[in-house]
Amino acid sequence: MANYTIGLTGLTAATTALEVIGNNIANASTEGYHRQRVELTTASGGSTGADVVGAGVDVAGVTRLVNTLLEAEILRQKSSYAEINQELSVMTSVETTFGEFAEGGGLNATIDKFFSALEGLAAHPLESVYRSDVVSAAEVMSSEFQRLGNSIEDLQTQIVMEAQTVGDSVNSLIAQIAELNGQIQNAEVSGAQANNLRDQRDQLITKLGQYVSVNTQSRDYGVVDVSIAGLPVVTGTVTLGIYVGVNDDGTLGVFAEGSRGRHLNIKGGELGGLLALKNDLLDDVAGNLDTLAKAIIDAVNQYQVQGLGADGSFTELTGWGVGDGDLSSLDTPVTDGAFYVRVTNKETGEIERYEIEVNVSGSPPDTVESIAAKINALAGVSASVISAQLHIVSDQGYVFDFLPAVLPEPTTTNFTAASPATVSVAGVYEGNENQTLTFTVAGSGSVGNGTMRLDVTDEDGNLVSTLNIGAGYAAGNALSLGNGITVAVSMGQFNAGDNFEVDVFATTDTSGFLAAAGMNTFFSGASASEMQVCSEIIRSAGRVATAYGSDLTDNTAALRLAGVQDEAVDSLDGMTANEFYQRLVTDVGQRVALLESRQENVEAMLQNLENQRDEISGVDVNDEAAELMIFEKMFQAMAKYLATLQNTMDILMNMV
Amino acid sequence: MSGSLTSIYNNVSYALNLHSKAITLLQEQASTGNRVNRASDSPSEAYRILGLNSQERSLSGYQETVAELIGNLEISSTIISDMSSELASVRTLMTQIVGGVYDSEGQKRIAEKINSTLEQVVSLANTKHAGQYLFGGCSTGTAPYEVVREDGDIVAVNYRGSDASRSIAVASGLSIETYHVGDEIFHSDHRQTPVFLGDTGAAAGTGTSTVQGDVWMTVDFDGSNYRISIDGGATYVTVPTAGDSNLAVTSSTTGEVLYVDTTGITAAGTELVRVPGTYDVFTTLINLRDLLLNGHGLETQKLLDYANECLKAVDEVYNLLLQAEVSTGSKIGFLETLSDNLEDMEYDTQDETTRLQEADIAQITIDLARREVLYEMSLQVAGTLMNMSLLDYI
Repeated sequence: MANYTIGLTGLTAATTALEVIGNNIANASTEGYHRQRVELTTASGGSTGADVVGAGVDVAGVTRLVNTLLEAEILRQKSSYAEINQELSVMTSVETTFGEFAEGGGLNATIDKFFSALEGLAAHPLESVYRSDVVSAAEVMSSEFQRLGNSIEDLQTQIVMEAQTVGDSVNSLIAQIAELNGQIQNAEVSGAQANNLRDQRDQLITKLGQYVSVNTQSRDYGVVDVSIAGLPVVTGTVTLGIYVGVNDDGTLGVFAEGSRGRHLNIKGGELGGLLALKNDLLDDVAGNLDTLAKAIIDAVNQYQVQGLGADGSFTELTGWGVGDGDLSSLDTPVTDGAFYVRVTNKETGEIERYEIEVNVSGSPPDTVESIAAKINALAGVSASVISAQLHIVSDQGYVFDFLPAVLPEPTTTNFTAASPATVSVAGVYEGNENQTLTFTVAGSGSVGNGTMRLDVTDEDGNLVSTLNIGAGYAAGNALSLGNGITVAVSMGQFNAGDNFEVDVFATTDTSGFLAAAGMNTFFSGASASEMQVCSEIIRSAGRVATAYGSDLTDNTAALRLAGVQDEAVDSLDGMTANEFYQRLVTDVGQRVALLESRQENVEAMLQNLENQRDEISGVDVNDEAAELMIFEKMFQAMAKYLATLQNTMDILMNMV
Repeated sequence: MSGSLTSIYNNVSYALNLHSKAITLLQEQASTGNRVNRASDSPSEAYRILGLNSQERSLSGYQETVAELIGNLEISSTIISDMSSELASVRTLMTQIVGGVYDSEGQKRIAEKINSTLEQVVSLANTKHAGQYLFGGCSTGTAPYEVVREDGDIVAVNYRGSDASRSIAVASGLSIETYHVGDEIFHSDHRQTPVFLGDTGAAAGTGTSTVQGDVWMTVDFDGSNYRISIDGGATYVTVPTAGDSNLAVTSSTTGEVLYVDTTGITAAGTELVRVPGTYDVFTTLINLRDLLLNGHGLETQKLLDYANECLKAVDEVYNLLLQAEVSTGSKIGFLETLSDNLEDMEYDTQDETTRLQEADIAQITIDLARREVLYEMSLQVAGTLMNMSLLDYI
């Protein structure tokens, strides 16, 4: 009864085909579904005499229409797209956080306003409203630094948490893929075809690829092995997870689960993007912002510590905590050098200047305690370390400061005349290096008579100036050296060779200790998020340094503070603060623009690839409808055939 | 080419997203009026815009400073001019005195007038503008001139201000010295040899004296030697019998020294010693007033002779004020020119910023219209594709 068999095979084939078509149409919108096609072959039949007769149709199988190369490329591009999207999302947030082009401007404007306030103070050093302006502007600027620093720190923290969440998602997907591998293998080993399971498994691999770049390797019976950065995470049904953690140096790392030692060089996917953000992009932005904040803090403090404001000299000064006192470990570098303390007896007006050596490289090196001990040994002041903070207090009737102003009298005198003239010194030194100037008398006689003069030489013996103190010089008149220092000689006598020395100071802290220990500083902190105006300045704007001269009427300190804006700083790659910040902002902008461009390109490429894939694997409802009609007709024809056979059989039976 | 539902949806979605992003960007540009709204819109232009914004703020700050300084200097110039006018009046009066227009009573009235002028001039020198004293150098917080009075009259005016002016930044890399040092503009500093106006025979020594302005020198004879005093007889310096061509005579009240050539002294007496090149406005008026009050009991002709000599002091300080006025005027001119330049620079900076940043509204309008059309077309095509199906015909 081969003819019945033929009919039955036809019906079976048509039915199977209709089922496949139905499955295709049902999954037309299912993500990751690959169109299936029934494979029909001619069934081999027997022979009737010399003729070989067919035995109908066999369903050879149901094929999943997929282009593996195309799928692999799509997987790779999706990984890349996810990575770019992740980076773009965060970098756009960073750019928005900077807000430079928003109404009111961002940090650039606050930096400008701070230095503009300092220029205003330099023009009006004795007016309180300008001092208050400076403090307000400083608080606004430091608040803006804190906001930016904290925002980026928060972003970095969120990235770590997100990366760990992604790591968990990756591990979950790995487990699911392995399970499906098992199911697929079991089905196909027994001869079945697990097309739908394969689609599900491949969809999971695609999802995994969006988290991290993966490589796949097909094996027998539909099993696919998956590896991440060379680590086999799915081998058949066996899995090995990953672990996301923070290294000791603060960088984010991905490791094979159970083995902190094996670090994975993750690329692509959201995880790759998060790693690049945390370890590279955001680190750069945060680092540059911190560098800028630190540069401004250090530059402003170096001028502030030496000056005085309207509040005048100190009776008490307390620095900030310096940890274990080790000077080499301080945020602001301290080097071998010295700082100078001026102590004034308020009653007599007598001023003494003392040198405090700071030895960092020696053995043993100075600590905050040893520095305090040296200050404590000075007349008129005492010092101690309380809660790791240097504390200096003046004795009753004394005040102290670190002004670079010249002392009113020479440091040393060597006069041999019977009634020597007295010398008074005034002014603020305008030079770049500390010096001891030696004034040597040429000629002899009474001041204002003859041809006497003073030859002024520096420490290297170079002639700095020649001052006439003979005929033509009215005793008591101020003589300018041309470097901000003036000297006046009273009536009296000199012998040839008489001399005196004057110490002039470009800076009264060559070691950086005062700024590092927080003595009379303007800002505190070592990073953007830590930057703050010192509490003493906030409490009293009169602590803002305006003067370097002893009568506190000059504006030298304020001018130098304002001048920081135009100073090219080594730590800022030789740029000014504004230029460095502008470069930082535009670097972020360039990165965002580049990511946007890459995103557009990859998106277009993906679109193209997915279109190509859909041509092969996508379900075209019209196509399926046509196929439906074909197999419907086939079924009808086969049914008719069987009916016809039945009729012939009936006829035959009736004949008997 | 088959069109699966998924591919149709993806293509439509992609196209709509593309146009939507472009429309959003154009909308932002239209609403802000700016082409560059963030650094990523155009990094290179953003860098320049940020720099130009900083420059504009800096220029604006400098302009405010310059305007304030011009105001200060104009007030200073007015004050100096007023002082000059007062001195000119005094000079006229002194000329009239020397010409014999006034008798002794008239001279006393002139003395009172000069005293009033002195009070006025001191007040002008202590002028405060916008909270700052104008003639104290960088010591702008305290009055630069302190008067010493006896019986209500000013006998000395001492300068208590700073010897340094204030350096103020008026442009990038440019500072000017502001706030006059009163001691420099009201006080001459070109010391010359003292001039002895009397008949004692004393003359200037070879040393450089420290006395300033007018000094009354008294020469008397104690029976064996001449003695010289410049502090009204409080202390005397004895002249050696052989004479001394460079005798230092010190004032016990001021510490100033007058070097006297005593070799030509032939008579005792009180004489006026002038030190040209050391006069200041206040001491000149004090000396004129006191001369006219004739506290030394001078004969009429002597007094007139001295008054005539003192006119030179008036001329000296008048010329000082004139120079100060000219100098202030040229500084004002410089600052006004600078202000104009700063204004031009600010305008140019704003212009360049606008050029870089401002959006072309006309172009945005055209682009928006184009994108809207494309968006609508994408929707229409999507609708058409999704509506067509073989199932409708089966």
